[in-house]
Amino acid sequence: MSMALKHSGSGRFMPAFSQQNVVRGLLLLFVSALVLGPVLILIRASVSPAGVMPLETNRVSLEHFQNLLTSGSTWRLIVNTLQYALVSMSIGVGIATILAWLTERTDIPGRFVVRVLMFSWMAVPALVVGFGWILLLNPGNGLLNVLYRELTGMRGYLLPLYSFWTLSIITSFAVVPTAYVMISGLLRNMDPQLENAARVHGGSGTTVIRKVTLPLLVPGLFSVGIYMFMAVVQTFDLPLIIGVTARYPVLSTRVYLLSSPENGLPNYGFAAAFGVLLLVIASGLMWAYLRTVSAGEKYRVVTGKAFRPRRIELGWWKPVAIAFVIIYCLVMALPLLMLLWVSLNTSFVLPSYDALPGLTLDVYRRLLANPVILRASGNTVILVTASATIVMVTSLLIGWFTTRTGSRLGKALDALSFAPMAIPPIVLVLAIVLIYLRTPVYGTIWVIVIAHSTVFLAFGVRSMSSALIQVHSELPNAAIVSGASWLTSLRKVTLPLIWPQFLNGWLWVFAHSARDLTAPLMLLSTTNVVAASGLWNMWQFPDLPGAAALSVMLMGSLLLVVLPFQIYAARRLET
Amino acid sequence: MSERRFTPRKADFPVVRSSVGRSMLAIDSLLKTYPGRGGRAATKALDGVSFTVKEGDFFTLLGPSGCGKTTTLQCIAGLEAPDDGTIRMGSEVVFGSRGGAFVPANRRGLGMVFQSYAIWPHMSVFDNVAFPLVFGGVRMAAASVKAEVMRALEMVQLGHLADRPAPMLSGGQQQRVALARALVRRPRILLLDEPLSNLDAKLRDTMRAEIRALVKSVGITTIFVTHDQTEAIGMSDQIVLMRAGRIVQQGGPRDIYLRPNSVFTADFMGRSNLIAGKAVVEPGAPLRIDTKLGVLVAETDTEFAPGASVVAVVRPQAVRIMPKASGSNSINSFAAWIVSLNFLGDLVEAEVEAGGVRMVLMLNPYDTYEEGSEITLHIPPENCVAVPADDREAAS
Repeated sequence: MSMALKHSGSGRFMPAFSQQNVVRGLLLLFVSALVLGPVLILIRASVSPAGVMPLETNRVSLEHFQNLLTSGSTWRLIVNTLQYALVSMSIGVGIATILAWLTERTDIPGRFVVRVLMFSWMAVPALVVGFGWILLLNPGNGLLNVLYRELTGMRGYLLPLYSFWTLSIITSFAVVPTAYVMISGLLRNMDPQLENAARVHGGSGTTVIRKVTLPLLVPGLFSVGIYMFMAVVQTFDLPLIIGVTARYPVLSTRVYLLSSPENGLPNYGFAAAFGVLLLVIASGLMWAYLRTVSAGEKYRVVTGKAFRPRRIELGWWKPVAIAFVIIYCLVMALPLLMLLWVSLNTSFVLPSYDALPGLTLDVYRRLLANPVILRASGNTVILVTASATIVMVTSLLIGWFTTRTGSRLGKALDALSFAPMAIPPIVLVLAIVLIYLRTPVYGTIWVIVIAHSTVFLAFGVRSMSSALIQVHSELPNAAIVSGASWLTSLRKVTLPLIWPQFLNGWLWVFAHSARDLTAPLMLLSTTNVVAASGLWNMWQFPDLPGAAALSVMLMGSLLLVVLPFQIYAARRLET
Repeated sequence: MSERRFTPRKADFPVVRSSVGRSMLAIDSLLKTYPGRGGRAATKALDGVSFTVKEGDFFTLLGPSGCGKTTTLQCIAGLEAPDDGTIRMGSEVVFGSRGGAFVPANRRGLGMVFQSYAIWPHMSVFDNVAFPLVFGGVRMAAASVKAEVMRALEMVQLGHLADRPAPMLSGGQQQRVALARALVRRPRILLLDEPLSNLDAKLRDTMRAEIRALVKSVGITTIFVTHDQTEAIGMSDQIVLMRAGRIVQQGGPRDIYLRPNSVFTADFMGRSNLIAGKAVVEPGAPLRIDTKLGVLVAETDTEFAPGASVVAVVRPQAVRIMPKASGSNSINSFAAWIVSLNFLGDLVEAEVEAGGVRMVLMLNPYDTYEEGSEITLHIPPENCVAVPADDREAAS
């Protein structure tokens, strides 16, 4: 027997699953530092005395909370925030439900295109869309207002841009893609047998929808609603670019303005007190969300079988449905087209036939020669690839521990990694400012990487856990019994099996890291400018053509990366 | 793709069997408790399991679901750690709670076929089989990897499918790939975790014989887990029957089937008629049991106190039927009548009643009987085994 297997030498015994224990310990340290550290620092800062830089004193004082609770504007802020979130969420989830039902359950043509557009739209920065809408709707020379005045001969404007309603409607458009993805998932997992049963027993088309489809969907829709409500409460970019001018302050913009005032010193302690308030509201919503999700489990209609639901024939409603989808897509495209137009002129010109010969790529040439833009591009590439990779690798490991081992440490990891879901990014970034202000990391691109790794960790762990749960535990076990180490089994068996979900999660973090303004703006220094913060600076300067061109480039490069994968994924769903 | 039979040639896998009969695997007092969840009490998965497996044996862990057989196998594989006890492979302690020894699964040098086969769908057949050689911790030249993999695949008659992607295999082919992968690096012990349960009935019958022939020709020590007593009887050298984390009986297939030591074994190993009674013990005389049927003379391996509750186990094939005229005065002969007959083709299932006791018998389909006819039953004492009455069984 020339190649007899070499068995482990006697006397060399290893502690149980040592490789795993080491990795698990490191993960716990890493996630605690990312998540627990900021929360503790935030709470500490909020109870520091007024007029002192937090962390420079040992004294504890409730001054900030006293100010916060006695000020009438606090209640105004809370009501504003909730009202804004409720209206945006309702409109957004309403549109998303109709779109999801049309594409998943009816014979409307172009379902494939709509699905790809929706998934890809998540990569379009809300900031960019917001700028587009400002160019379209601002009271002075907004394109739609100018057209309105020319066509009707009236003064005034079509829609007041800087108002609660416009802010909410524009935000709701940002809600639609995510809500669509969640709701179409719900619809796809619903057993069509339940609907067929109602139909066989004499229910008409609308009766089935009213009496069976909707009631079955309600728990799921409710949890999607709470989730999106929470997302709007935490949102920062649109309230900043529209809400501040509209004199419609919400909690997130208040935290920002206190910590980065236009003049005067930042009041970190007071900002932290507001941060704690926002954290409490978000945690309450998170709790409500988790409650509805577990209640939804009772209604679970997932049968686990692959099935293809019968599509409802729209009949003569079809043109109406098609018109709805087309109008919606046009409304979504309008701000982007406006940005494209503005970027093709060296100075701001309203779109018209006469202006066509003046179109030029000069603005793009100017941008690409600008060292700040080049640095921003380089930084953005570092930021998005580092964040996406750190988040997904960490998530894969955490997901493995939470799905494969029932240990207490695994549960702690799961809870810790889920916590950022309830921590509004603006609050988290504020805490990161407080922690890293005096360290050399502050001001570098890496402090933004840390912020994004924390913010997007919850999503990454969710997506990896749900992917790993589908992988039969015998597949990696077979590798280990074959003699491979745990890490080899992870690398050679588990990861290749969930590769599509891993890549999808990576792209999601990639796109969201690129579109986020919160962290880059709060942590902005002279050297760590990225695309989003560069965009904001040009807009504020103001350099409208430059900002428009940068928006187009950012959006274009994001879609270039995301679109091919979404087309591939949608194809796989179709077959 | 039809399933081709394979006939393993001994020359494919020469194994030096210098020390047949030597202990290859020794399990001593394994304990494993799973903590209760959600207010439920903790469950004892393994409650003092001990056995020894001789080198080259086909050794089966048999029992109903939840009996601890899979947990035992997982502990042997190193995928789970017992709370207490010792596991020895050859001379090496791979788990010892006292010495704190724990050799992780990837260093135990085992081969394993999983219940789902666990064929990695993202690899080809060749890559699946090559994995233990490439990542198994022992470096090997690419050329010899290829040679070894092809040899293992030829052994299961799948050499022609080496380049096929794994998802494009039938159930039987997947199982052969799993076998080739488990054997390719010549492990010390082969573990089989219910490998037949995912196959359809006909294929299961063929694979049963083929797996036994294959592992016997290789000469490898095999631990086989199953809940199917037919598989266990047809394949094993030794069977350990488990229940609720404990070993109920250990022995060869004939012993376990024909001489059960408990109601549980008798019931689990196949259909049997259980006749309750009280032990009548006289020194020097065979055991007699006082039953509703009358006095039964039975064999037993258990010591009974006089008057102890006893169950006589009578297999349906153990009973002889004689015409009524032959009388019922000889030993273990009773007057009875046929309640119902059920013609099943390969046998006739008959329900008979004697002295208020109903029994099921298997009769030859070529013999003709009629429902309601009176007969005489004869139960040869050597076909009647007395076991202790089981409180738990009585309750259920």
